[in-house]
Amino acid sequence: MPKVTINGKSIDVEAGTSVIKAAQLLDIPIAHYCWHEGLSVAGACRMCLIEVEKNPKLQIACNLPVTEGMIVHTDNEKVRDAVKWSLDFHLINHPLDCPICDQAGECKLQDYYMNYGLYNPEMAERKQKKNKAVSLGDRVVLDQERCILCSRCVRFTNEVTKTYELGIFNRGDRSVLSTFENRPLNNNYSLNTVDICPVGALTSKDFRFKQRVWFLKDFDSVCNGCSTGCNVKISYNNNGVFRVRPRVNKEINGFWMCDEGRDVYKFVNREYRLDQVVERRDDFAGASVKGKPVALALQEIGHKIKDSQKLAVVVTAQYTVEEYEAFFELFSGKLKSTKFYVWVNNEETFESFDGLLLRGDKNPNTNGLIKTMKKFGIKAGLWKDFEAAVVKNEFQLAVVAAPENQNVYPELNSRLATFEKLEDVVWLSSCVNDRFKNFRWQIPMKSYVEKSGTFINFKGVEQKIKASVKIIPDAIDLIQLSAGLSESIGVAR
Amino acid sequence: MEIKLLTEHYDKPEFVTLKGYQKLGGYEALKKAFKMKPEDIVTEVKNSGLRGRGGAGFSTGMKWSFLPKNNEPRFLLCNADEGEPGTFKDRLMMERAPHQLIEGMIISSFAIQSKKSYIYIRGEYMKSYKIVEKALQEAYDAGLLGKNILGSGFDHDMDVYRGAGAYIVGEETALISSLEGKKGQPKLKPPFPAVQGYLRKPTIVNNVETLAAVTWIITHGAAEYKKIGTEKSAGTKVFSVSGNINKPGVYEVALGYPFKDFLQNECGGMKAGFNFKALIPGGSSCPVLNAEEAMKSTLDYESMGQLGSMLGSGGVIIIDDKQCMVDLLNVLMNFYHHESCGQCTPCREGTGWLNKITGSMLSGRAKMEDVALLDKIARHMLGTTICALSDAAAMPVMSFVTKFKEEFEFYAKERKSKVRGEMVYAESHH
Repeated sequence: MPKVTINGKSIDVEAGTSVIKAAQLLDIPIAHYCWHEGLSVAGACRMCLIEVEKNPKLQIACNLPVTEGMIVHTDNEKVRDAVKWSLDFHLINHPLDCPICDQAGECKLQDYYMNYGLYNPEMAERKQKKNKAVSLGDRVVLDQERCILCSRCVRFTNEVTKTYELGIFNRGDRSVLSTFENRPLNNNYSLNTVDICPVGALTSKDFRFKQRVWFLKDFDSVCNGCSTGCNVKISYNNNGVFRVRPRVNKEINGFWMCDEGRDVYKFVNREYRLDQVVERRDDFAGASVKGKPVALALQEIGHKIKDSQKLAVVVTAQYTVEEYEAFFELFSGKLKSTKFYVWVNNEETFESFDGLLLRGDKNPNTNGLIKTMKKFGIKAGLWKDFEAAVVKNEFQLAVVAAPENQNVYPELNSRLATFEKLEDVVWLSSCVNDRFKNFRWQIPMKSYVEKSGTFINFKGVEQKIKASVKIIPDAIDLIQLSAGLSESIGVAR
Repeated sequence: MEIKLLTEHYDKPEFVTLKGYQKLGGYEALKKAFKMKPEDIVTEVKNSGLRGRGGAGFSTGMKWSFLPKNNEPRFLLCNADEGEPGTFKDRLMMERAPHQLIEGMIISSFAIQSKKSYIYIRGEYMKSYKIVEKALQEAYDAGLLGKNILGSGFDHDMDVYRGAGAYIVGEETALISSLEGKKGQPKLKPPFPAVQGYLRKPTIVNNVETLAAVTWIITHGAAEYKKIGTEKSAGTKVFSVSGNINKPGVYEVALGYPFKDFLQNECGGMKAGFNFKALIPGGSSCPVLNAEEAMKSTLDYESMGQLGSMLGSGGVIIIDDKQCMVDLLNVLMNFYHHESCGQCTPCREGTGWLNKITGSMLSGRAKMEDVALLDKIARHMLGTTICALSDAAAMPVMSFVTKFKEEFEFYAKERKSKVRGEMVYAESHH
């Protein structure tokens, strides 16, 4: 374990650790563009220049392994001057149009200019002209003039996805980032290149120009797009959620997440959501009545359940462990006669895996559901059992913990017909869909950004999510639902 | 005075062929080498004081001894990507004595126990390529390459590879990238090529002249070689001289030879009507010396180093008083701007910036501050990149602007050349 001293602070690190990593462990910032912990070392941006005592030449911290007794300075005049110049070389041909750049506010050029720059530019020559707004694929746009050629995105497609779409072409200051011929950047991880781009060169078609980033706040969450459970941070403001980006967790997702997972935020925003109770009223000739208070609806449903001898409960694996516990406590613990069914989506591809992160099980909490069912000794049937029972007219009432994200339930529409055969369906769902209008009750549920709880991922890792945004004020979770129903049925929780 | 160790038979056309080469004592060194132990050859080369002739001047024997001592496959690469402006010695050596190079390479490969070597020839050197290719065929036919060479039990294969026209590929790690089929860009060091080079295997890259000199050293012994030259710069060096002199060309002289004598004797002095103004001693990336410094200098690594320049590749560029230093610097900046690989930011952006300023100067748009700015940019490009191309662009700028400041200031102030007068260089070249 060699010991290194950086700016007077010492640390023992494992042999082979780079100086930049050691500095990170000491919370000493070292400016860098091309270095990324999840990628190979390029050593090209020359921003991480540092001084090592007894070495007359400045070294780059990213490619310099720590040796015993090494004494490093990152903040003396010589280093600051060198970094300032490295920064200036990045900026001389870079467009200075931050007000119209989507990266403004989270741009490393801006950040380092404030730290190392604050000078008057001396570049008075014509700037290099390159292409603007180049579409690299379905999700990513490139501005070649803003690109600082750090090659992070190139290394990402070479080393992580191994899809090799990107390259740096031409030489010198005519170098441009681009895709190879007939090879657009359309892999399912393409938006990671936008995340790792330190400047405004690569932007997301989905997010660009939607919000200035200083109007957004981030909170930590776990992706509910599949059973991997990638750690994410979600950007939101009063107008809703705007983007999902990966958070580093070396055990689960490393530095990355898939593009599909980034779309999950869309289904939590108001326009996709069921925002109030919807009730089908026979006395209104089958028309729907909206806006009944949730508590009142739960009371009525409770009475219905109490009276019903033919009750089925259908669950999907999209809810938290805590919710399942409350839910099963009521339906299994208190109302012992209930029959349970698990609705498994994407059955053919359920076990599949793309080799990186994305799994065929498009639910965040399959393991949590299984675990909780075991705890309550529930032996649940599958869809075909439910279907057969419905045909045999075994049920009159079904309570369905329906999917929060209906897009990952491709068979949803074809299965609605089975539910429609029942007299009364209590459809618990966060998403709005015209085809649910035949169900007796639609109860607005919270999405994963609005509730706290636990997801258990495919390999059994428990991860917490936290209620962070309020999007639908009337929405409830299964815990609130179970409490409301218990009260109405008259069983103490 | 010329001392022709390597170039002795260059004037004989038959020296190009295997027969002619053998008649003049060729491939005797190889036979001798096969009787030696490989490590003794390394020691012999180390003792000879031979330093890399490509530009860096690093001890050849020392470089070889950095190879890991194991049985891992290893490669010898001959750097014949002679791209440094002002340098054209390797070309002559390949065109006139291909077998001298091949013999040197077989000996060197035997010394480092490499079974495969490549000659990486600059793409523009079509003639050299054809001659070397033909010579290789001759060597294969005569059993000098392939399996069990001359009954020694040593197997060796050699191939020629043509570059695609990039200057930067003369840098050894960029050469390796190019040979691997990648974009010719320098690689980060460490790891050094001797540890992890071509195809991530231990690799030695040597210049044409260095490898040719190995042949002589094995024939005549290290002691004989060490007698020539100075204490730290042993042996001879082949110089290629250009400029308004009476006898431009390629000359082999002992290291330590006074430049003054070299200019008078070998180069035949300045052409009538031209006066000596400045010297670029070792190819365009070496800092320029003014007349006074040049006349004090001797042609060896130490003297040039003391004067703040470098012996480099031996591409001697003689600058006369009819040349405008601003024009010349712009030519160099065009070159480096064009040739920067674009990997490291200071070089990619800096070479372009420097070039734009020299261009502005020539078209009369420069300001007085630009003279100092040139120097400032260059100083901050120095030593900050993966390879030395950034330095190669920066060093001429710093030396030109410092030593011929009045010419630059005159241009910025009067918007015309101090030397040429009204004629605007940019108009004639762009």
